[in-house]
Amino acid sequence: VSTPENAPTLATASATGPPLTREEAQLVVREALSQSAAEQTEAILEARRESLTRFANNEIHQNVTSVNHTLTLRVRVGRRSGMATTNRLDSSGLRQVADRALAIARLSPEDPHLPDLASPASYRELDAWVAATAASTPEERAAAVGPVMAAAAKRNLNAAGALTALASALAVGNTRGVFAYQPETYSQFTCTVRSENSSGWVDRHRRDVRALEAETLGAIAIEKAERSRGPGATEPGRYTVVLEPSAVAELVGMLVFLGLGAQAHQEGRSFMAGRMGERITGERVTIGDDAWDPRAFGRPFDVEGTPRRAVPLIANGVARGVVYDRRTAKKDGVESTGHAVAPPATEGPLPYSLVLGSGDRSLEQLIASTERGILVTRFWYNRVVDVKKTLVTGMTRDGTFVIENGRLTRGLRNLRFNQSVLETLENAEGWGAAAEPTVFDYVGNAVVAPALKVRDFRFTGVSPF
Amino acid sequence: LDSIDLFRGRQATHGGEISMNDILDRALNTAQLGGASYTEARAVSSRSQLIEVRNREVNALQENASLGLGVRVIVDGAWGFAASAESSLADAEACARLACRVARASARFRRGPVALAPLEPSTARYETPTRVDPFEVPLADKIALLVEATGIMEREPNIKVALGTMQFWEDRKHFASSEGARIEQRIVHSGAGIAAWAAGNDDLQVRSYPTSFGGQYEAIGWELVDRLDLKGHAAETAATANALLTAPVCPSGDATIILDGSQMSLQIHESCGHPAELDRALGHEANYAGTSFLTPDLLGNLRYGSEHVSIVADATAPRGLGTFGFDDEGVPGQKVDLVRNGRFVGYLTSRETAAALGLPSNGTMRAESWGHIPLIRMTNINLEPGRWTLDQLIADTEDGIHMITNRSWSIDDRRFNFQFGTEVGYEIKHGKRGRLLKNCTYTGITPEFWNKCDAVCDASDWEIWGTPNCGKGQPSQTMRTAQGASSARFRNVQVGVGYGS
Repeated sequence: VSTPENAPTLATASATGPPLTREEAQLVVREALSQSAAEQTEAILEARRESLTRFANNEIHQNVTSVNHTLTLRVRVGRRSGMATTNRLDSSGLRQVADRALAIARLSPEDPHLPDLASPASYRELDAWVAATAASTPEERAAAVGPVMAAAAKRNLNAAGALTALASALAVGNTRGVFAYQPETYSQFTCTVRSENSSGWVDRHRRDVRALEAETLGAIAIEKAERSRGPGATEPGRYTVVLEPSAVAELVGMLVFLGLGAQAHQEGRSFMAGRMGERITGERVTIGDDAWDPRAFGRPFDVEGTPRRAVPLIANGVARGVVYDRRTAKKDGVESTGHAVAPPATEGPLPYSLVLGSGDRSLEQLIASTERGILVTRFWYNRVVDVKKTLVTGMTRDGTFVIENGRLTRGLRNLRFNQSVLETLENAEGWGAAAEPTVFDYVGNAVVAPALKVRDFRFTGVSPF
Repeated sequence: LDSIDLFRGRQATHGGEISMNDILDRALNTAQLGGASYTEARAVSSRSQLIEVRNREVNALQENASLGLGVRVIVDGAWGFAASAESSLADAEACARLACRVARASARFRRGPVALAPLEPSTARYETPTRVDPFEVPLADKIALLVEATGIMEREPNIKVALGTMQFWEDRKHFASSEGARIEQRIVHSGAGIAAWAAGNDDLQVRSYPTSFGGQYEAIGWELVDRLDLKGHAAETAATANALLTAPVCPSGDATIILDGSQMSLQIHESCGHPAELDRALGHEANYAGTSFLTPDLLGNLRYGSEHVSIVADATAPRGLGTFGFDDEGVPGQKVDLVRNGRFVGYLTSRETAAALGLPSNGTMRAESWGHIPLIRMTNINLEPGRWTLDQLIADTEDGIHMITNRSWSIDDRRFNFQFGTEVGYEIKHGKRGRLLKNCTYTGITPEFWNKCDAVCDASDWEIWGTPNCGKGQPSQTMRTAQGASSARFRNVQVGVGYGS
């Protein structure tokens, strides 16, 4: 077993197991807590080994592996707290970060809302570790993406994309006796295939790299690029759209920052502020945060060591709740739901595993039921225009098609939309059965969403391509 | 530059005295033995400080320190990269060996070997000029300033959130290449700003000072914070946020607009800086950030904008977040033309991409940290000043809207179709600034828009604005860039999009 003097490094760590084992994490956390001279101390330790094989123009052009670990100490002196982060885990590094956190606490003003540290709890087991992902080699990743590039080149197309394999471990501990440890893996295959005037895209996120069959997935991007060759233009206006799961996830994910966390709600900035218990969107709409949904890349606890709870946010169109960390929970006189975000967490607690309830239709059925409309593969560069209206603008990208009489008939140039997220959900007429996860920031903010058919979706501009 | 011995503290715990050069040498030598035809080793020691005060309470206060080594190699004509948080000789060897293995795996799927534009290796030191080291200013003073500024803003009615932010960064970099380069740099960035959020009847409005995204950021020391005078601007900032609640909404239709320098900065960033990145134009970013409408066949041929539009990439400009001595390939920072009198004449390049066009690199490769490879990033993308004072330009405008401070931004993946929103707008009628307007937006197609530019303000209105949050690459990297600009006028622009029917 390693000691903190000799924490695992690229040179010494296992290349197939967690970048930090439970025993190693316990040693580092125990040593870090013991270095602190403060009344109370919390430690957040995260280790990551991330490999990514990236390709463009049908060749591998970037290929990286990076190993890091970070330790954050939060200390309390009376009602004051201070925090410092380091990636030095030897004894002198731990002492320095503990001293710095204490110095910051002493210089900080008293915090009237400083919550108690979490108490020891039992954490429901959540298996997030797949050994095959952690053991992924550069040779395997190259061999996986090679056939995608070959298939694109054979059709005179141009493939670009990336295959990621990430192994990480999170440990949280405090001087009240909390210790929580979770090893995780994550993998993603994403691919864009371009012709001279069109493009197609595919994007999948899984714990298990073996679930990502790059060649099969790449064929989806190739087909979209082929089918959208020579795209035509359409006039801005309101259209019935069929949104693939990624496009829905992009829009629903915007709600995270528009006000599904307690801080935005308490500050009156949330779109749900003052509307709790009211119907704010369609009755068919249910959104919750559920770490235990096997598709949702959840964690069993947060960085304060609080067990994560499943939280209903919007139920049958009615605003039902927000997620809490310990500080915002104390303000509202409730219990934390276990949604503290890694420091500095300027936006307060946020949902991690957002799940939009699905329906019973296949994507093909949604298209077949549409007399005249537009199929959107994905949205891109989406930004909030108006918080209270949940008004968002963005572009379509990599596969936008005309639907006529229930069939995709031709490709379309990309369109700009300006659309309220809640109105989009209100106007949903068809709900897909199959939901896909999209992870927006590696392990962290995942949105699980089905395809939707939506009426009166507002496009306001057109691109020249 | 002070003697930077990044590893002195660490090596002391192991009882040995190993110099930085030993670590870098070990990485270079190991890679050479592993078959690398080119190697660069980059050790970086970073620290940062973030302070956020909301309504007089400290909401976030974090100090971060990070140290590590990244090794990038070419083996069998392909790139490989490995990085580690640790920095022993054993880790330098492990990084170099793994980078070579990764490169070999890449080499099976190359259409041709990577070629680098030639470079004369440098031995040099560079340091950001600062008057007051921001890490030496007492924390209590920083917090007190933000508590006071947010307290002033809270006095204004309807202010729900009064926000004050400061951020400081320091990167100490050691770079060595197998071509013989040895470069040490210390880069310091500082930033600060305030913002007020006002909430009314189903409306939420924000006003920031001196601009959004947390304020102004520069390659400079604490003297920036002194110059900004956050307290002195707090009352007016909050009053404007409150006034926006009852202000009329920006009209919809075609209009003449004058954009302030900070909004121009983001307009330049998104619609000139990004499309001028040669890696995007060559398809390297096709799967993530996107490509570019500025394809190589247009270089020297495209009328990008009107004759009033001249844009340079200048890594030597004082105070810019894109100012440095050398990029992360060891290429000296320099000033080059991107757009000259409206014509598209240059790209931002790296050694690999420049070689594809038969050019030398113009030195724009930067990595977020020791754990990331360098990518082509904007340096300081500066619109050259014109001849008008802002007062003259407003007086010359019969009917228009003066839009100030970015609130929202979006642009397509080739950088054609954009939509921006600003925090505030003012009507211009008969050469005079009139009513405050809220929810201002405008949209356009990049080259059409820049060709509608008929006036650019002079140096009295020019500032180099920092952008602290530019995203690019897989794994995603965040970079700090800058864009220098003064106010400028554009004719017949579609405004009010998003809020109409």
